[in-house]
Amino acid sequence: MNRAVNEANRGIADRLIGNVGKVIVGKKETIELVLVSLLCEGHVLIEDVPGIGKTMLAKAVARSLGCSFKRIQSTPDLLPSDVTGIHYFNQKTSEFEFRPGPIMANIVLVDEINRATPRTQSCLLECMQEQQVTVDIQTVPLPRPFMVIATQNPVELEGTFPLPEAQLDRFLLRVGIGYPTEDEEGAILSRFQHESPLDNLASVIEPEELLEFEKLCRQVYVEDSVRNYALAITRATRSHQDIQLGASPRASLGLHLASQALAAVRGRDYVIPDDIKYLAVPALAHRLICRTEARLRGRSSEAIVREIVSTVPVPVEEQPKSS
Amino acid sequence: MKTGWQKILLYAAIMGMEGCWLYAFMALLNKQVAGGRLSVPGILLLYPLAFVCNRLLQQLRWPKAGNWSVSWLAWALAMLLVVKVQMFGDLPLTDTAWLLSLHRSIAGVIYNFKPELLLLLSTGVVWWMGRRLAYLKVDFGAMLSEFQFGVSILIVAFFAVSQLSVELTNAVSVALVFFLFALSGISIAHAMEGTSWLSGLYQGHWSGLLLVSISLVLLLGLLIGSVITPDFLQLVIAAVKWVLHLILKVIAFLVSLLPRPEPGEPPPPMPAMPAPEPAEQFRLWRMPESVRSALRIGWTVMVIGILLFSLWRLSSDIFRWLRHRLAGMAGAEFEPLPGAFKADLLSLLKRMLSRLRGLRLPFRLGLKADALLPDIASVRQMYRQFLRWAAAGGYPRHMSQTPNEYFHRLAALLPEAEGDLDVITRQYGKVRYGASLPTEGELHRMSRSWHRVRQIRLKKKEASLNE
Repeated sequence: MNRAVNEANRGIADRLIGNVGKVIVGKKETIELVLVSLLCEGHVLIEDVPGIGKTMLAKAVARSLGCSFKRIQSTPDLLPSDVTGIHYFNQKTSEFEFRPGPIMANIVLVDEINRATPRTQSCLLECMQEQQVTVDIQTVPLPRPFMVIATQNPVELEGTFPLPEAQLDRFLLRVGIGYPTEDEEGAILSRFQHESPLDNLASVIEPEELLEFEKLCRQVYVEDSVRNYALAITRATRSHQDIQLGASPRASLGLHLASQALAAVRGRDYVIPDDIKYLAVPALAHRLICRTEARLRGRSSEAIVREIVSTVPVPVEEQPKSS
Repeated sequence: MKTGWQKILLYAAIMGMEGCWLYAFMALLNKQVAGGRLSVPGILLLYPLAFVCNRLLQQLRWPKAGNWSVSWLAWALAMLLVVKVQMFGDLPLTDTAWLLSLHRSIAGVIYNFKPELLLLLSTGVVWWMGRRLAYLKVDFGAMLSEFQFGVSILIVAFFAVSQLSVELTNAVSVALVFFLFALSGISIAHAMEGTSWLSGLYQGHWSGLLLVSISLVLLLGLLIGSVITPDFLQLVIAAVKWVLHLILKVIAFLVSLLPRPEPGEPPPPMPAMPAPEPAEQFRLWRMPESVRSALRIGWTVMVIGILLFSLWRLSSDIFRWLRHRLAGMAGAEFEPLPGAFKADLLSLLKRMLSRLRGLRLPFRLGLKADALLPDIASVRQMYRQFLRWAAAGGYPRHMSQTPNEYFHRLAALLPEAEGDLDVITRQYGKVRYGASLPTEGELHRMSRSWHRVRQIRLKKKEASLNE
């Protein structure tokens, strides 16, 4: 890729981040991670408390892309057919017809995903991994770009069903939005005083343009030593004493793809170790299962990934011997 | 010193270097072909003349073809003048006999190599070299290339002189003058680049240092020339022979100590072989002796050709490697790197062996990856020096720190050098992790930044911060 292409990529990313930033105040990193996930055709799990703008973020991204947006509110009585769609008997035509579910959209917000039963959660597996949905005997491809933004509340546990590992592994990144600072909260109040900026949010990127950008992301150069560095981090999770189940090869692939997308978003045509470091926690932490003893000691998977990242050597020139 | 004068001195240095090896070769040919009749300095006078003439033509900005034609017309006139002066000085200029003689010499080249033809060729070569110099961009890289090429040619010339037993009385002087020009030119070019210590603290003394180093080289040359005489060499060879003889005697003595095998029963005599029946003499065609001779000559020419081709390929590979290495050093500081020479040598040997034997795979196990491109190697070397500089100042990079994290740490300590540190880090990141080569401008910018950063004493800075 030449310099002009890099600048163009960065221009697209800046346009989207700026546009979403009109609604979501001061969360540039989170928006950037959502964009990275979108460029990898991956899915995002937003784990945070209610009322901090998870739905707003998903809607703003969808509006900015000119994509279709659907929301699924997960409840214990939600059925898979409520998500995927159903074949119903049309009395006028005397034929069974397919009525697509809310999953048939470019951006799908699955709110409070852990409130759905495991049966309903599992119906998302095929959609998220293979970008298609099978209803009865019919397989329907999902529109592209396709992205699931799921949210879950980490505090409330009553009446919830923790996501299985297979489901968690299908999320490319897990991000947190976090509370805004005082200034940011003040800006939110003044911005939403008269009307929601989401109502007037215009599309800044066409879906075709995004798909083109996706293709360019795959061309971002990953030097061998940087690739090995990413592998060293994921492999270190498998031998860590506090981890019962380490990151899967899908995690390695996800980290690799996400680092390419992040480099492109930041206007580079090559990946640097900083990209890997930056993405290690969002891409790996949610896929790990900590040992019970570690959990009892208050060790979180994020802290373990951070510890691993701080011990794996970065591929730089050989360290000079101390004189 | 002003830049204009420096340029003139650089041109003079190159002219001097090339003049030296041209002189050596021409003197040899003069002795062999013309019996020493020709005046070599007279021919070499065409070199500055060609340079000046072509520089003037360059200023005129004529079309390329016109420029070329005028230049070679000037050579033809100059060549005729030299032939007239050196070969036919007795004849008047208006007498065309000398022109006819020149024509006959050129026409009879297949029968005999005449001095006139030597004059024609040598003036042509000298003129071409003067013209080449007029268009050459002189810098440090060019000086180094001229130096390495000149040394090779001088060695070849001296070897030929010794093999052909030609008496070249001023060979030592030629060599010394060559090194004088080379050292002066390289030093001035290095100082002109502005990246060496000559442009730093010792800028005021560089001419003194230059003179001292040149004097030292000349002194050593004279000393070696006076000590290593033929008698001395004979003495050394005799000593080596005596030592070898002694070793052989010791080996013979040791062998004599070994037990000899007991002589056994002599084997019975072999029965006589039956006499073979005379084979029927049948030959389809007997090859004439002339054809056999021609084939023998052809075979010899082919073998010699293959040998020469192999030698040429080998030497051109070595030269290309040297040029790549030297081109990559433009603008870089020279610092001792323990193990670098060994790594380079191993890499070169590995490539040569893998080409020769196709044994690339086994060598991958033991040796590092292929040698890097010169520009990339130069940037990475600069960054290694940067790491060493920071580590020496008490701020080594932690193994899990990325270059950017390390930059932020150092930039907090040296806010005044933040820009330069950023250039170094960014450029290194681009080269180390990217797929593109650095441009000349980027290399230069990084080199300048590193040059400025290394002037800062990090330890002192830390102490002042603590205060």
